[in-house]
Amino acid sequence: MKLQTKFNLGIIIIFVVLAVSIGSLSVWYVNSNTIREAKNRVSIYTRAAWEIHDSRVARIQAALEVLARTQSVEEILEHQGDQQRLRATQEEFERIRQEQAMDVLNVLAPDGTVIIRTRYPYSAGDNLASDPIVQQVIAEEQPSSGNIIFAQERLGTAGEGMVERALAVGQEPRGMFAGAAVPVMRDGRMVGILQMGMLLNGAVEEVDRIRDAVFENETYKGKPVGTATIFMEDLRISTNVLDNQGRRAVGTRVSREVAEQVLERGEPWTGRAYVVDTWYLSQYDPIRNPNGEIIGMLYVGELEQKYLDIRRRAVALFLSVVLAGMLVAFLTFYYLTRGIVKPVGELSHATQLLSRGELAYRVDVDRNDEIGDLASSFNTMAQRLETQRREIEQNQRRLKELNDELRTTNRNYMEMLGFVSHELKNPLSSAMMSLHTVKDGYLGDLTEAQEDSLASVAQSLEYFEDMVKNYLDLSRLEKGELEAHAQDVTVCRQVIEPVLEGLEQSLKEKGMHVVNKVPEDLVVYADGHLLRIVYDNLLSNAIKYGEESGTIELGVSTDEDEVTLSVFNEGQGIPAGKMPQLFKKFSRLDSPEHSKEKGTGLGLYICREIVEEHGGEIWADSEEGEWVRFSFTLPNQTRRSDNA
Amino acid sequence: MPEKKGKIVVVDDDVQLVESVTTLLESVGYEVFSAYRAEKGFDLAKEKQPDLILLDVMFAGPPGPDGFEISRRIKKDHDLKDTPVVMLSGVKKVLELGYEVTPDDDFMPVEAFIDKPVKPERLLAAIDEALESQE
Repeated sequence: MKLQTKFNLGIIIIFVVLAVSIGSLSVWYVNSNTIREAKNRVSIYTRAAWEIHDSRVARIQAALEVLARTQSVEEILEHQGDQQRLRATQEEFERIRQEQAMDVLNVLAPDGTVIIRTRYPYSAGDNLASDPIVQQVIAEEQPSSGNIIFAQERLGTAGEGMVERALAVGQEPRGMFAGAAVPVMRDGRMVGILQMGMLLNGAVEEVDRIRDAVFENETYKGKPVGTATIFMEDLRISTNVLDNQGRRAVGTRVSREVAEQVLERGEPWTGRAYVVDTWYLSQYDPIRNPNGEIIGMLYVGELEQKYLDIRRRAVALFLSVVLAGMLVAFLTFYYLTRGIVKPVGELSHATQLLSRGELAYRVDVDRNDEIGDLASSFNTMAQRLETQRREIEQNQRRLKELNDELRTTNRNYMEMLGFVSHELKNPLSSAMMSLHTVKDGYLGDLTEAQEDSLASVAQSLEYFEDMVKNYLDLSRLEKGELEAHAQDVTVCRQVIEPVLEGLEQSLKEKGMHVVNKVPEDLVVYADGHLLRIVYDNLLSNAIKYGEESGTIELGVSTDEDEVTLSVFNEGQGIPAGKMPQLFKKFSRLDSPEHSKEKGTGLGLYICREIVEEHGGEIWADSEEGEWVRFSFTLPNQTRRSDNA
Repeated sequence: MPEKKGKIVVVDDDVQLVESVTTLLESVGYEVFSAYRAEKGFDLAKEKQPDLILLDVMFAGPPGPDGFEISRRIKKDHDLKDTPVVMLSGVKKVLELGYEVTPDDDFMPVEAFIDKPVKPERLLAAIDEALESQE
């Protein structure tokens, strides 16, 4: 993985972790904040709703207190039998009730017996002392107000249309009233009771007033932000929540959970409530009658959507700030790491090129930090490597030139040597001829001194002849002309016999005798010509250094891998100390006591080169003063043939 | 001077060798005529009608017939076909012939083949042998 990728991946992982934690933290924070805020607000709205409702009831009470002091109330209570006056008061009070938009306005006797009802059919004579409000007025002779529930027969006697209105909401024949009752006092004595109230079942004014006062008719996305509902026990009897058809959603009942908490335990319930088709943040407060008994609930709800949207906007804002911050941080980080990674990549690339031998490459990093130091060190290193390589190449070239020169010189030398040797052969032949013609007495008898002198010349010429022959071989050998062209060679017929024939005269002169133990049919895989050179050299040595009238023995032994050929002669042998130099160029067998015979120092070297060219070995064994045996190996012929 | 033993024509491009061989042969009583090129040698032989021809194989100088070619001409020649020819040559070493070079009626119809360098004794023996075979 590339360094930049690693950095990017690392920072992305860090940012993702950060974003997730900051994001969830912020969502949680916004959530809890807005919900707490919403709950606070809904509880404030509820208190406001109560204020509005209570002030309404208080106004009813205030109106009754004013009415209780009027002349007509006093008169009607004093003259209860006066039907005319009764009717007049009833008409007047009915008008007042209607002006006040009230459903009930009754005049009662101090014991709660109805004297006047202001609603058709104006029934009277029944007793309302069990009404909790009236009950309180009778007991304390003080005004009283609140909410109460009318049972069905009470509702029926209250006047025309009351039961119908109640039944229209959830088939409930009872009704909830909000109202007040005040004592009518004369000379410190209660002479009657005035009672006024409104039926809340199916009514809209009260809830709309609450809503308008609390929420000021605010709407959100076409929906009123706030709603208010009054429950009689668990039944919605008055609301401004609209159902799917746009009607006021009354007649339904509250959830079991809310009913238990509010109606049974008397505790307010605050939370999200799903009403009709959307969520409200709501509070349900118990409604109690003047005796403290729970008779219903006041509900205030605020559209949750508003808060959700606020929350969503807040979260979105929060997250976008976080993301923007991260983006800036990431770009900064990327720019910073890029500043490291790019030159490191460049250096890495340059190092690769360097390792491939492109020493001329330089990195282009101009910085004042550690990376800049690294780059300049790299360049210095590359520069030095390049300089060194150039020097090495120059040296190599010079060496090669010198080597070529040497080789050419050597080749020229060898060619010249070969040419000279070759050219020397003919004059040598005629010199030998002339010498021997004289020495052998063809041109007249010689004195002993003359003969000795000529013998010395003859020996020099023979040495000369050897030298010419060996130098010729050597020059060919070093020019690479004597490469082994191996084929099957019958050793006796093709090698030993021709060589012996050439040496016949020398053998005869020294009176030496050759015993050839090599089988007639021995065949080796070798170059016949080169093999003859080997035998010629070894036999010439044997004749030269062997004992006069001695025996030369040509031997052979064969095993699975190789054929060992040998030339044995009696004679001085070779001192052990001289063995290591034996096959080196210009090494000589002759010793001071043996100075009569002189070697060129090349014969055995040529032999070794030839034998090794065939993949064999050559060596000598000797018993000093007794005998010497030269042996060399050739790979076994049958094996070579099989492989070929 | 010993008694005349016979006439020998020596053909060789090596002047020194021709001289030393001539000295040797004259010392043992032969009358010697010499030529330095192969064709000249043939002409000389036609002219002198020798008892034996001593012939080199390879000749330096401008291209021309070699010793083998001349030996074949001699054997085809009416006057010379019975004259023995001894080849004296370093060709065996030069050509690196490993085997014994033996006269061959088709290629080199000669009586003897002698390697250079050669010692007088052996040369004279070969000449004697060739002359005897002819008688």
